[in-house]
Amino acid sequence: MTSSKLSDHVRSEAKVNTSLKDITSEINSLSVDSSRSNGPEKPPNSIRNSSLVDVVKLTLTDLFNFAKLKAHQQTSSLLELIQFYIYHFILLFVFVLITIYKSIQTSYRKFFIKFYTLTYYHNKSPQLIRDDVNKLSKIPKVLSCILDLKDKDDEMGGIDGLINQISELSAWTISAGIPYLQIYEYNGKLLGNKQYLSKLNHSISKNLSEYFGSSILPNYSIKIPHQNFIIYGPNNNSNSEIDLTISLISRVDGKPTIVELTKTMSELAISNELSIRDISIELVDEELIELVGPEPDLLIYFGPNLDLQDFPPWHIRLTEIYWEPDNYDVNYSILIRALQKYSNCTVNVGK
Amino acid sequence: MSDWISTFPGYEQLLTTAKKVFGKIISTGPVPRHVGIIMDGNRRYARQNKIEIKEGHSLGFETMASVLELLYESGVECATVYAFSIENFKRSNAEVKWLMDLAKLKFQQINQHSDLCEKYGVKIKILGNKKYMPRDVAKILKETEELTKNNKRATLNVCFPYTARDEIVQSIKAVVDESTKNHDLIIDESALDRHLYTSDSPPLDLLIRTSGTFRLSDFLLWQCVSPDCSIVMVDKLWPAFKPWDMAKVLLQWSFNQYWYGHGNGYTTSTVSGIQLYQSSSLIDLNDTKSSSGYQRHAEWQDDISEEDIDAEEGEVEDGQESSGNSSVIDRDDEVDTVTSSESDSSKK
Repeated sequence: MTSSKLSDHVRSEAKVNTSLKDITSEINSLSVDSSRSNGPEKPPNSIRNSSLVDVVKLTLTDLFNFAKLKAHQQTSSLLELIQFYIYHFILLFVFVLITIYKSIQTSYRKFFIKFYTLTYYHNKSPQLIRDDVNKLSKIPKVLSCILDLKDKDDEMGGIDGLINQISELSAWTISAGIPYLQIYEYNGKLLGNKQYLSKLNHSISKNLSEYFGSSILPNYSIKIPHQNFIIYGPNNNSNSEIDLTISLISRVDGKPTIVELTKTMSELAISNELSIRDISIELVDEELIELVGPEPDLLIYFGPNLDLQDFPPWHIRLTEIYWEPDNYDVNYSILIRALQKYSNCTVNVGK
Repeated sequence: MSDWISTFPGYEQLLTTAKKVFGKIISTGPVPRHVGIIMDGNRRYARQNKIEIKEGHSLGFETMASVLELLYESGVECATVYAFSIENFKRSNAEVKWLMDLAKLKFQQINQHSDLCEKYGVKIKILGNKKYMPRDVAKILKETEELTKNNKRATLNVCFPYTARDEIVQSIKAVVDESTKNHDLIIDESALDRHLYTSDSPPLDLLIRTSGTFRLSDFLLWQCVSPDCSIVMVDKLWPAFKPWDMAKVLLQWSFNQYWYGHGNGYTTSTVSGIQLYQSSSLIDLNDTKSSSGYQRHAEWQDDISEEDIDAEEGEVEDGQESSGNSSVIDRDDEVDTVTSSESDSSKK
């Protein structure tokens, strides 16, 4: 069983073409502004479906049940009840202290993030970024970023905000000399829609021309592993080298892809083309690298608290994880601090 | 400083009481059901304090015993510790052999004192790929699992020798195997979940990694990427990690759960909201398990007493003796701890 055959199976199962499809021309032919007409769906952000009447009713039944419970075990229950509330009160008191401590901590951290933002500013100059990176002893080969799709009304929110963030990130990573950038967004809103991709491609090339000047625009390609699409940047010649590969992934590239692989394997096993003994870590690893991408060296989460959001589990085995507490933005200072942290650590598997 | 304090008479007693009181306080609020711990830093600690590596491992064991006691007092149902990674076989032969011997010794001790273990009510489960284990060690571990399998109060999963990738592949194999026998099997995430080593445990709520390394090192990867799991990285080396630090982590988790409804604290992602929306459109307010009021607490207490029906008097005894018992329990765990640690990678 060759590896390419297995991943091809998985792809044909998912009705995706098995060979890498270049959709650059298709994307370029789409006009940029047409996407405004059908905006993204707003993610549901409320789970309160019960009405006030329900709440009151449930509370009353709750109280009634509780009274019944108390009537059953009069003596011990009352004592326990008092004990419980004493302990609970102490806990709540501690929580109050924590809120005070946290608010102080938050303002302190915010101040520092502000300070770093001012200290490290790229000024849209690749040379400055290059200078910052040259001080480091090593840089990651594969950088992965988890981005949040924020509410449309927020700063840098909605699909437009996401596209902006990705184009800024790609300019920074090209300047830093990192060849592979992986963007994870849970919902995958960007991937399903070719108009968004067209917009993204346009935005990246525009942003790069602001950094590098339009005459020497770096070469990049955008990959969507799940659909097996690739989009090349505007000045791509077949013989020139690609400076940056941007790979867009979402939740479907995580656990669901492993499930798909399992399905394919079981089909092959049923038709006796694959023996269970042949399934090994190496085989699965090879397939998942083919289907999703390489294992990232550094993972940056641009959110206030670490939340892996179903990131592909197979791929974060030895990945260095970085996030800045109480930071809400995609910021150059965060990236450079993550790179500094990464350059200071060594990985020795098992030893 | 802390060494000096610990020489005072009654210090141990005081510590145990403090843990009990803390457990009572925190169990009135939200408590993680399943905690995973990567015990990293034993060898570095030994090097820094100029003691032998063996001693570093046994200090690590003591820490684990003490931390686990706190966890179980707080009402954590299940703890998973990373004792030995498959990658650890790459270490020097002498060290691997020493660790294996230690595991054997400690588990033998547990087996001999199984009655005490039973009283404390901790079920020990060995997670990992048994084919990498020497046969004599495997036999003793199997015995321990058998002896403690009826205990219900809490579970201790010892990952020995384990890597998450191995676990995932093992699960894929099991599903493929099942599907060849049963052609109607629906293969989805829950099918894979069912065949993971942790399938009997509640979903992972909290993962702790010590020694300031921000890596998961092949531990519970499938379980911890879930948006509901919060990951805490602590700067201290494992032997320097005290119950006090554990208490801080637990309080923080509890606070975040109480305040933001999420163990991670405030998150900007829309992930968990969407999932909740899909899974249950209406959250039952009458569900006493999910609220943090007295009723939930009482029910929880009821559950425990029901489980221990056979030993109602024994329970009191249990409480009094738990300090002694716990140290025994930990002895079982000792195996893990000692062997453990520094499981994967270490930072310069």
